[in-house]
Amino acid sequence: MTDPSAAMQDPRTLLGEAFKRFRRHRLAVVSLALLVVFSLAAVLAPYLTPYTFDGQDVALLGMPTPPSLAHPMGTDHLGRDNATRVLYGARVSLLVGLLSALIATLVGTIVGALAGFYGGATDNVLMRATDVVLSIPLLPLVIVLSGFLRPNLYLLVLIIGVLGWMGTARLVRSQFLSLRGRDFVEASRALGGSGIRIMFLHMLPNALGPILVSTTLSVGGAILLESALSFFGFGVQPPTPTWGNLLNSSRDWLDIAPWIATFPGLFILVTVLAVNFLGDGLRDAFDPRM
Amino acid sequence: MQSLRRFVSRTVWSLCLAIPLVGMALAQERGGTLTVALNYDLDTLDPYASGFLTDVQATFLAGLVAPDHDAQYVPVLAEEVPTLDNGGIALNEDGSKMTVTYHLRPGLKWADGEPVTAADVVFTWEAVKDPSYLGPEKDGTAEIERIETPDDLTVVIYYDGVYSGFKASLFTYGVLPKHALEGKDLNNDPYWDAPFGAGPFMVTEFSRGQHVVVERNPYYFETDANGVQLPYLDRIIFKIIPDSNTQTTQLRSGEVGFAYNVPYTSLATLRNTPNLEIISAKTLAFRHVTFNLRNEQLADLAVRQAFAHAIDRTALNRALGDYMLPIDTFVVSTFAFSSDDVPTYAYDPELGRQLLLDAGYTPGRDGIMEKGGKRLSFDFMTQAGRAEYETAQQVLIAQLKAIGIELKPDNKAGAALSEARRNGGFDVWYSGWITPADPIDSYVSFYATGGFNNGGAYSNPDADAALYAAAGSLDPDEVTAAMHEAQRIVLTDLPSIPLFETPSIVVTTSKLQGFVSNPTNQTNFRQVAPWWLAK
Amino acid sequence: MNLTTFIVKRVLAAVPLLLGISIILFGVLHLAPGGPLDVYADIPGVSHEALENIKRELGLDQPVPVQYVKWLGAAVRGQWGYSIRTGRAVAKDIRERMPATFLLGGTAFVLALAAALPLGVLSAVRQYSLLDYTFTFLSFIGFSMPIFWLALMLQSLFAVHWQLLPSAGMYTIGDGGFADRLRHLALPASILSVAYMASWGRFTRASMLDVFGLDYIRTARAKGLGERTVIYRHALRNALVPVITIVALDFAGMISGAVITETIFAWPGMGRLFIESMNGRDYPVLMALLMIGSFALVAINLITDIVYSIVDARIRYD
Repeated sequence: MTDPSAAMQDPRTLLGEAFKRFRRHRLAVVSLALLVVFSLAAVLAPYLTPYTFDGQDVALLGMPTPPSLAHPMGTDHLGRDNATRVLYGARVSLLVGLLSALIATLVGTIVGALAGFYGGATDNVLMRATDVVLSIPLLPLVIVLSGFLRPNLYLLVLIIGVLGWMGTARLVRSQFLSLRGRDFVEASRALGGSGIRIMFLHMLPNALGPILVSTTLSVGGAILLESALSFFGFGVQPPTPTWGNLLNSSRDWLDIAPWIATFPGLFILVTVLAVNFLGDGLRDAFDPRM
Repeated sequence: MQSLRRFVSRTVWSLCLAIPLVGMALAQERGGTLTVALNYDLDTLDPYASGFLTDVQATFLAGLVAPDHDAQYVPVLAEEVPTLDNGGIALNEDGSKMTVTYHLRPGLKWADGEPVTAADVVFTWEAVKDPSYLGPEKDGTAEIERIETPDDLTVVIYYDGVYSGFKASLFTYGVLPKHALEGKDLNNDPYWDAPFGAGPFMVTEFSRGQHVVVERNPYYFETDANGVQLPYLDRIIFKIIPDSNTQTTQLRSGEVGFAYNVPYTSLATLRNTPNLEIISAKTLAFRHVTFNLRNEQLADLAVRQAFAHAIDRTALNRALGDYMLPIDTFVVSTFAFSSDDVPTYAYDPELGRQLLLDAGYTPGRDGIMEKGGKRLSFDFMTQAGRAEYETAQQVLIAQLKAIGIELKPDNKAGAALSEARRNGGFDVWYSGWITPADPIDSYVSFYATGGFNNGGAYSNPDADAALYAAAGSLDPDEVTAAMHEAQRIVLTDLPSIPLFETPSIVVTTSKLQGFVSNPTNQTNFRQVAPWWLAK
Repeated sequence: MNLTTFIVKRVLAAVPLLLGISIILFGVLHLAPGGPLDVYADIPGVSHEALENIKRELGLDQPVPVQYVKWLGAAVRGQWGYSIRTGRAVAKDIRERMPATFLLGGTAFVLALAAALPLGVLSAVRQYSLLDYTFTFLSFIGFSMPIFWLALMLQSLFAVHWQLLPSAGMYTIGDGGFADRLRHLALPASILSVAYMASWGRFTRASMLDVFGLDYIRTARAKGLGERTVIYRHALRNALVPVITIVALDFAGMISGAVITETIFAWPGMGRLFIESMNGRDYPVLMALLMIGSFALVAINLITDIVYSIVDARIRYD
């Protein structure tokens, strides 16, 4: 990653090589395909199921029913189709994962870039702030915030995102520190380029690989965090289904209707697994040393 | 006692109050340990400070009087319940103030053997009233002007007015031992780690987050018909099990022998378990939908009436497990003054729609009714994380959608919920109330103008007059007349729709005998002394 | 700069860090709408005046900055105040819950380490073998696992369907023998260890592979030293240094991560106390618990830094 010749290469060639390496990571390719399918299914949910996520079958009120042809994952105690709810749950879970990872990356990149580029007092202040946030145990803090604020979907995204930027900030900072002394940065400085311009036009593209990897991995973390919060009842509120709150409401029926709990959990596991494999593939692609 | 094995059957079945076993052929046996599941995380054993009902506290503290299984007050430490007839209540000349006299039973002792005297009653009042004592349950302390104790067994309480609900709070929760607490900081004295009183048991171990153990109080005053000293049980272990799955598992394995407020989701499993009894016990709790009348659209009576006609209690009940009892008024059937003569709102969605159309609403493109560009769309609050409430909420959303009213869930918990509930931070609210055995003061707080629990800002001078008349009268007939009037007015104005009276599902081991459920907020354990376990 | 000054400097640097953390936490807790007394408002018998009085007594009517300064002054002197929910000293409430959490966390820690180290080393030694691929795949599953779901599933299988293990709690009242406690510990400790097992195993593997690439290992191999000697004498020792750092840091996280496991298995530790205090919005207890969690992170960070600097002479004191 610190190979001096890398910075000299045309980014497009770099990208091409990375893509070649990525294709060799079979699990990552399969994962990417799976995630694309999940996302498409989530987006197209209304066209894929004859039921609505809150549609109640009055005849089935009161007791969950086991999987059948009409309801492949059964129905819940309100006569709602579980498969439909898992499908709609994918919308929220994937959206939260993606958006909060993007927010975390955005904040982290800005903080890291400023710290790494300017150094000195700026670096000191920003990195101490990073230390402070890093030193608070994440899960309890998120539980406190979402438990007290009872967030809607977007506030929840913001909370998860805003508490997840520290890793990216440290990463980007170290990238920028190592790039700072390079010839092309010195050159654009000598030519009178503004700080912002140099940072985002010249330095950032060189750090994109690692940033992409860390963003991908934080998507998985965010999905897990959202589902944990919703599982505790501190996240997204019913009847909007998410994989986490589907699991939460399945607890009461665990004894007599275990299938209600099985599917959402399985989907969380498979999705996060795919995201992590994808991240692994991207890391191999951008950083062949690992 | 009736076991209800076909519990989740869809047929209508009658609910039976557990019937006392007195007079039955079984001979009571002394001894044994009963393990009880507590479905909440007990915060403190101080009944005046706890945020929960006083299940455990009822086993070791005794009050002067207590409500029984019919919500009728019976004497405990006092020899009789004071009334106007027996001279226990006296009014001053102009009828503006009252004096209540209690006579303590002679020979009463605390669990440590010290005598119980009138001074303990005075101490309890002073200790709870003291502003530096932070327990919030100070109800009933402020109205007392002074207490006199002419002798060790007589307590004369001078009130600054006439209160029909004087029995409901302070001296029912329990009298505290003066000799153990005088001069101590009641807020956090070590006494509360293993408290004792004059109740049938005393606490021997409180392991936070895990369990409370109470053992027989050797000095308890009550005896059975044969002169055998109560309680029969040696020991009760209260296990803290907030998770309902765990509770079910432990009931099935016999690790727990008594659980109440069992969620109906567990019943399908439990009713197939041998050696368990399932009892549907009446309570003073009821469920309601309450409107915030500050909302312009909800201030329109037609909208509220349409709302009421859209609710199908039968379907809703089925979704909730078919164990609720539909009601048309806010006074539960246990109380004699529950009225039949109130306007009712039968399930009739067509009529509901018609009411809205007549009031000038028209269906919008999405099917939601609107008038003047404003849709009938409301924030619908209930307690987050409470499965029964959230289920009811989702069924109600679907039912109201059918007549063109949109409800958007806006659930809150704990602090945020209470805040919103009191200050009207909702449009529509589904919840439950449980009243004390003397419920009139609670009704005042729900429906009187500016009432402490009147978060929907309902206000009708006629309702106020009727409610305050009931609260200020000591004559049962007057109370009944005033309460009938209050129910008629409130159900006509419809600031709130009473939905169900809510029984508590109690599951016990078949060995448990002598259990009589208590519907009041004094909990089932208020009458724990005669419970016994068959071998 | 010598070692002592380095240590003193690092310890001093932790003070503003902890101060910053406490300001953030206090702000988060106190600025959110609602308050701890609202739990009582559901009881019809509690009057408005009584609530106002308690508010005054607890100092909750004062501006948040004033409350913070008071809290800080007391906290520095070791006074963590009284729990609003239980009325007892916060320190006492927390002290009672600590052993349970440490028992759970400690067992999970040992379990995770005992599995992760050998597996990590083996997969590194046999890189690209079937064992390596299997382990890699399983560890990906391990840290992709929603542990509350795993807990739910295993609880339902072991405790409900097969009735092999108790479903919850720390011991049976009236029993509490070693075997009984072990049976209660088995499920929650294994579940808590899963993610750490996976991540530490991966980390050990990576660290070993790094070391294998270093010159002195090549030299050792070239000198004809036995493969076992090379791996366990030379490589493992050096590879363990970064592993220990991660493991130590994760231990602090494990204690706060036990929130989920403790809640599902009704384990009477600090995590459950945290959730109970959340529901009652018990500020003093929440603040103390969060500060303890943060303090543990800062302290372990500090200690590993110092130990690292002693062990590894390559790190300069700057």
